[in-house]
Amino acid sequence: MSNNKGTLEIRNLSKSFIVDNSPLQILNNINLTVTSGSFVSIVGSSGCGKTTLLRIILGLENHYDGEALMDGKQIVGPGTNRGIVFQDHRLLPWLTVGENVAFGLDKLNRKEKKLLVDEHLQLVGLIGFESVYPSQLSGGMAQRVAIARALANKPEMLLLDEPLGALDALTRMYMQKELERLWQLEKITMIMVTHDIEEAIYLSDKVVIMSSRPGIIKQIIDVSSSRPRDRASSEFMQIKAEILEEFHLGTEYTFAYAI
Amino acid sequence: MKKLLISKKTKGILGAIAFPIVFIAFWQLFILAGFPSARFLPSPYKVLQKFVILFSDPTYSHNIAVSLQRVMIGFFIGTLAGFIFGLLMGLSKTAEKIFAPFFHAVRQVPMIGWIPLIIMLFGMNELPRVLIISVAAFYPITLNTFSGVRNVPREYLELASVYGYKGLTLIRKIIIPAALPSIATGISLGLAMSWSVLMVAEIFIQTAFGIGTQIQRGRDRFDIALVIAGIITVGVLGYSMTLLVQKIVKAVERGQVISADK
Ligand SMILES: Nc1ncnc2c1ncn2[C@@H]1O[C@H](COP(=O)(O)OP(=O)(O)O)[C@@H](O)[C@H]1O
Ligand SMILES: [Mg+2]
Repeated sequence: MSNNKGTLEIRNLSKSFIVDNSPLQILNNINLTVTSGSFVSIVGSSGCGKTTLLRIILGLENHYDGEALMDGKQIVGPGTNRGIVFQDHRLLPWLTVGENVAFGLDKLNRKEKKLLVDEHLQLVGLIGFESVYPSQLSGGMAQRVAIARALANKPEMLLLDEPLGALDALTRMYMQKELERLWQLEKITMIMVTHDIEEAIYLSDKVVIMSSRPGIIKQIIDVSSSRPRDRASSEFMQIKAEILEEFHLGTEYTFAYAI
Repeated sequence: MKKLLISKKTKGILGAIAFPIVFIAFWQLFILAGFPSARFLPSPYKVLQKFVILFSDPTYSHNIAVSLQRVMIGFFIGTLAGFIFGLLMGLSKTAEKIFAPFFHAVRQVPMIGWIPLIIMLFGMNELPRVLIISVAAFYPITLNTFSGVRNVPREYLELASVYGYKGLTLIRKIIIPAALPSIATGISLGLAMSWSVLMVAEIFIQTAFGIGTQIQRGRDRFDIALVIAGIITVGVLGYSMTLLVQKIVKAVERGQVISADK
């Protein structure tokens, strides 16, 4: 699907919420360009507006200043060109895994649905689980079903809001590999919010660093090392140090505290 | 510590019948003690004898059939109306504003308070009897459907809007399934309410057949054993039906429950 679709252009975007009858600015003058097929991570402390930014891109928040353009067109609501994976997998507990994956395929007939469901369960390695209920799945499996549901709609851009945040460290590293594999296979744009700096560096072409009150983009760091990336390489460590520096968590500080 | 090995199921049954046995024992003791106030109270054995007579009397089974049918029809109407009304108020804040105060005010009047009016309007007919039963079921089903619909997690509604679900599809695919556990609770409560007003409906709006009629007849003839047999019949039937409905509800909900926050 490398047809230059799945681009995002955010210009001078600011967003306020009304809190206690007065506007509270959450995002301040955000500018961001995401190219077709790239992997972009957004990192920042909690409350800095990452989810809000993702919701604007998704089309769930419509009152803001500035522009948010998907493939050159103003975003006015949710659409099938954008998929979402929430932090809580948000699978519907009364539907089976297969029915959950088919959730966005309401307009297709039974046969077309089955084809897409099978294809995407295969993709996330969960073939044979279609008649299982979400309550019977582990966290990692549930999140894979959520990814399959989002991909089944063939979006040009996949938005991921701390998709691996609830998983244990080992499952998490495994899922990072899986995400990279899916991204390379599907050739779609992915924008992921994460708390985990290593995860961001491991997966992204670009790491967007946000800071809070109100949320601004502090720095955008390009990561161009070849894939799959080695977390222990000096290049990796160096980028990590650079990002930590942005959060004022650089080694100098820790050193200072150590004395 | 040595204990008898008893299966869980046997334990459950023993637990369930232990109290009735103790109760009957006290009942018998009470009579043997010869309290003056127990003068008219028949012994458990007399009631048992009454049951034996009743079982060979076709009127008894006919009474049961008529009462069952009455409850079923009333309960069905009440369920349907309560579901629709609760759904409407749950979906629309405007509908809630218009109907809720009226609904809550009307709900305060106990069923027996309606009897004189209903009799004056409809006469001593089957319609008002069924109507009372449906209204009794209507209240809890409306309330629980309403709160189930109102409390559909915002996250599910958001998910639905991401995938473009609107209107009837949204109701059918998200709202009703998410509200189902609450609706089911309403249905169980509604059934219990239907049974509890059955007696009111049958005794106050006189009728030729029904368990309530049997109890009333027992009273007219000063046949206390017949009255007690009627009461026991209502309890056992009502409880069995509630258990049955709970089984059905569990089956419907299977695969659902939990996991919303997992
Ligand atoms: N609908 C809303 N109304 C008012 N305040 C909100 C709303 N949504 C988010 N916020 C506030 O905006 C800020 C940013 O929230 P969010 O985007 O969820 O942050 P993040 O995802 O970076 O942790 C928080 O302080 C949050 O309380
Ligand atoms: Mg967030």
